Amino acid sequence: MGGKSTELVQGTLDMLILKTLALEPLHGYGIGLRIQQISRGVFQVNPGSMFPAFRRLERQELIKAEWQTSENNRRAKYYMLTEQGRKKLKRETQEWETQTAAIARILATVPGEL
Amino acid sequence: MRVLRSLGAGMRALLRKKEIEKELEEELQGYVDAAAADKLRDGMGAEQARRTARLELGSPEAIKEEVRSIGWENRLETCGQDIRYALRMLRKNPGFTIIAVLTLALGIGANASLFSVVNTVLLQPLPFKNPSRLMMLYEGLPQVGSPKIPFSTPDFTLVQRGQKSFESVGAIQDKEFELSGHSEPDRITGARVSASIFPMLGVAPVLGRFFRPDEDAPGQNVAVLSYGLWQRRYGGRPGIVGETIDLDRQPYTVIGVMPRHFVLPLPGPRANFLPAALWVPMAFTHAELQGWGLRYDLSVLARLRPGVTLRQARSEGEALGAAIEAQYPQDILKDFYGARLGVPVFPWREEVTGPVRPLLLVLIAAVGLVLLIACANVATLLVSRAAARQREIAVRRALGATRSRLLRQLLTESLLLSMLGGGLGLLLAFWGKNMLLALAPSDIRLPQNVGFSGGVLLFVFGISCLTALLFGLAPAWHTAGSELQQGLQEGGRSRTAGRSHHRLQNAFVAVEFGLSLVLLIGAGLLIRSFARLLHTDLGFEPDHVLTMEVPLPVQAYPRAQQIRNLYQWLADAVPNLPGVKTAGVADDLPLQSAVFHTLELEGRPQVGKPPAVAETWTLGSYFQTMRIPLLSGRLFNREDGPDSPPVVIISQGMAEEYWPGQDPIGKRLRHEENQPWMTVVGVVGDVNDGPLNQPRQPHIYTPFLQLSDALTVENVIGVARSMNLAVRTAGDPAALVSAVVAQIHSLDPTLAVANITTMPQVISSSLAGPRFNASLLSLFAGFALFLSAIGIYGVLAYAVTQQRHEIGIRMALGAQPRHVLRFVLAWGTRLACLGAALGIIAALALTRLMKGLLYGVGATDPLTFAGVTLVLLLVALLASYVPARRATKVDPMIALRCE
Repeated sequence: MGGKSTELVQGTLDMLILKTLALEPLHGYGIGLRIQQISRGVFQVNPGSMFPAFRRLERQELIKAEWQTSENNRRAKYYMLTEQGRKKLKRETQEWETQTAAIARILATVPGEL
Repeated sequence: MRVLRSLGAGMRALLRKKEIEKELEEELQGYVDAAAADKLRDGMGAEQARRTARLELGSPEAIKEEVRSIGWENRLETCGQDIRYALRMLRKNPGFTIIAVLTLALGIGANASLFSVVNTVLLQPLPFKNPSRLMMLYEGLPQVGSPKIPFSTPDFTLVQRGQKSFESVGAIQDKEFELSGHSEPDRITGARVSASIFPMLGVAPVLGRFFRPDEDAPGQNVAVLSYGLWQRRYGGRPGIVGETIDLDRQPYTVIGVMPRHFVLPLPGPRANFLPAALWVPMAFTHAELQGWGLRYDLSVLARLRPGVTLRQARSEGEALGAAIEAQYPQDILKDFYGARLGVPVFPWREEVTGPVRPLLLVLIAAVGLVLLIACANVATLLVSRAAARQREIAVRRALGATRSRLLRQLLTESLLLSMLGGGLGLLLAFWGKNMLLALAPSDIRLPQNVGFSGGVLLFVFGISCLTALLFGLAPAWHTAGSELQQGLQEGGRSRTAGRSHHRLQNAFVAVEFGLSLVLLIGAGLLIRSFARLLHTDLGFEPDHVLTMEVPLPVQAYPRAQQIRNLYQWLADAVPNLPGVKTAGVADDLPLQSAVFHTLELEGRPQVGKPPAVAETWTLGSYFQTMRIPLLSGRLFNREDGPDSPPVVIISQGMAEEYWPGQDPIGKRLRHEENQPWMTVVGVVGDVNDGPLNQPRQPHIYTPFLQLSDALTVENVIGVARSMNLAVRTAGDPAALVSAVVAQIHSLDPTLAVANITTMPQVISSSLAGPRFNASLLSLFAGFALFLSAIGIYGVLAYAVTQQRHEIGIRMALGAQPRHVLRFVLAWGTRLACLGAALGIIAALALTRLMKGLLYGVGATDPLTFAGVTLVLLLVALLASYVPARRATKVDPMIALRCE
């Protein structure tokens, strides 16, 4: 753990969860781990905000849950993307890209360029 | 669609609640297990791995709480928890609960009962079809100060025929009848109405039918009964329809009965309103249709045509006025003093609510203030309790309750309190509105059929919620937000308890006192007005004067001479009765005189504003009976008969207004151009001719015997055949009623005597309105004062208990009991002074609104302001004294030890 984790930008946790689940269905711990791995440890997801996010996404019917047997033979709640979730992820990804590109352009501006 | 889905998901969640809980538990456990397994793989020891994994998860309870709070169904659930918890808290503190609920119940009850009256009187005053389209029409001569005159018959028919703005127009005229047949003759108030009126109002009879248009013609003797008369006199027999009754000794066929609560004409600005007991067709006679310039006594109602606006109707009204004027005979037109006749149109609703509006608005303000005070009181109680609960709250916060969660819970308690108060208040209101209606004098004209509609329930619910926010928000915010550490500390060591609590409480109590002062000043002003009215010099002596009306039916007394003979005989015979000192006959009595606007003074051109003068026709010893003093000249005597020169007596005010600095004796005046001049023979003192709170008018008195035959038989308002007998008695006037009535019946046993009363009773009923205002506002003010006293007592008593320790130390260090006493008293007085300052400022702004209800007292009367403030401060001092005494009884040793 240590001080290496970065606070997630507000509202991006939902998107990251959706993206993770787009790759494959996962249980709670797996999702947190996956986000940490892919971000190379930049994002350390706090379970205290992850579980409420699952419930929220479930209620919005963007993800659904199913009890399955985990890799180490335990019953675990696996989350997967719904059709709606997939659409939402696509929309959010596009929006995110537009925004980050714009922000990047602004940040890259050097004096005298305009 | 989304809402529906969320609703469905929420419902499912509610149904599978246990299962979902278990799954969440299992999921969190799974997380810990998976994390531990990972750590184990990374080479941690088993025990260490589990502990690290658990630490990583954090508090599972907090996560569960967070997860649970998602979705609407959980809010419902926490709400249920809050209610259960709140109920438990309220049960645990029965004293607090009872006081708070009772306080709120009184506040809410007062508001609800007044609202039920206001709802009926101001908001839904016309129980008729589409009431906003109903208009009241008048004739108006605004340039000469007569903006609203009832219609005369020819003018009404012109409007009825000429207008285009209304789908129907109809007239109503009050009419007294002698009702006979079936049982004893009875004097009743009825009304003549156009056939168009009932369909216009859209009210169906419960029995039979209305008049047909063809029945609105002379000779068609039909009548529709009121529900009350039908029940009272005919025992509610359905067979009454088709039967014949005698009105003024003429047979009329009953064709219908109106519903129970149907009232027409509505209570309006007129003296001694009595609802009509029956209705007959208007059926104008030929003489009425030709009666230009006579009998302006028709109330005219009209329903606007669809699509026509009030503005359009008003502009047509001006044209109609000009059209009427064009038809007027020249000699009558002169009495208009050059003013232009118009036909002003007013929404009927405004006409009905206008007279009661100022009083009701003041009462609304009063009960609103009472509720605010009740809120402030409960709020101080809540703050006291919050201090006692500080430890509990601090513990809950330490265990992870968020501020908003606590706030919600505390507000739930407030809401519960106010709902309980509201429920009880509703019961009180049910009883209170009946009391309000019973207390209200008839001239305030509150309808008696005030219902308890859904609107009232909604109002009570709304006001309860609002109240809860009002008294609960500040204490709850304060409590839920108190610093954690401080809370735990303060809870543990009561010595430093609640400085900020005291500040909040002090503020509430000061506000409470300020509001009470506003109410007290309002009540004080009304009481002072009432006292002024009571001590008004009336200009006559009302004690020992008995009065009654002796109406003579047209059929039995068709000729002027018969009418004169009967009244002359009465004036002569009644004084001979034992116990009677003098007797006189007059068409009206003091406090009830009619004012008219046409009078011509000799040598004075008819321009500008015409004189407004009250006139009374007298016969016999009227002045002696009323003890109206003769100031100069002479009174009437037997020689002032039909054949002698016309004479008139004027009031002092009349003399001063029209002949200032001159001797008015010998001057001449007349009613109209074609009537004879009357010579002034005497000047008498002024009397209060109208309601006590109205200024006196100039007054003229004329001998009844000198009225022309035409006027005696058929006059402007039909009063010459319903004169009043006034009798001055030696002893109790009420004891002579039967003797006087027997005397009247010895001449004509069929005569129905009406309105038997005494002058003191007339005065008392004319004071009923101001008395009602003053007593009601005093009641509210007293209640407010009581609540404020309790408030200041509660705060100080609580403060003394909280500061026992500090007081104990002071006393141990040598403070004398009187120092302690002074300290606590000064605290209470400081609060009251602060409140009084606020209250005086508010009252200065607010009492102006009640100017119309005051008489002889300014809205900022310094005496009332000072006196009431003094009373308030005294009450504050008294309320502070009890806790102050208790403070001096603190035993330093016990106070120190109880830590």
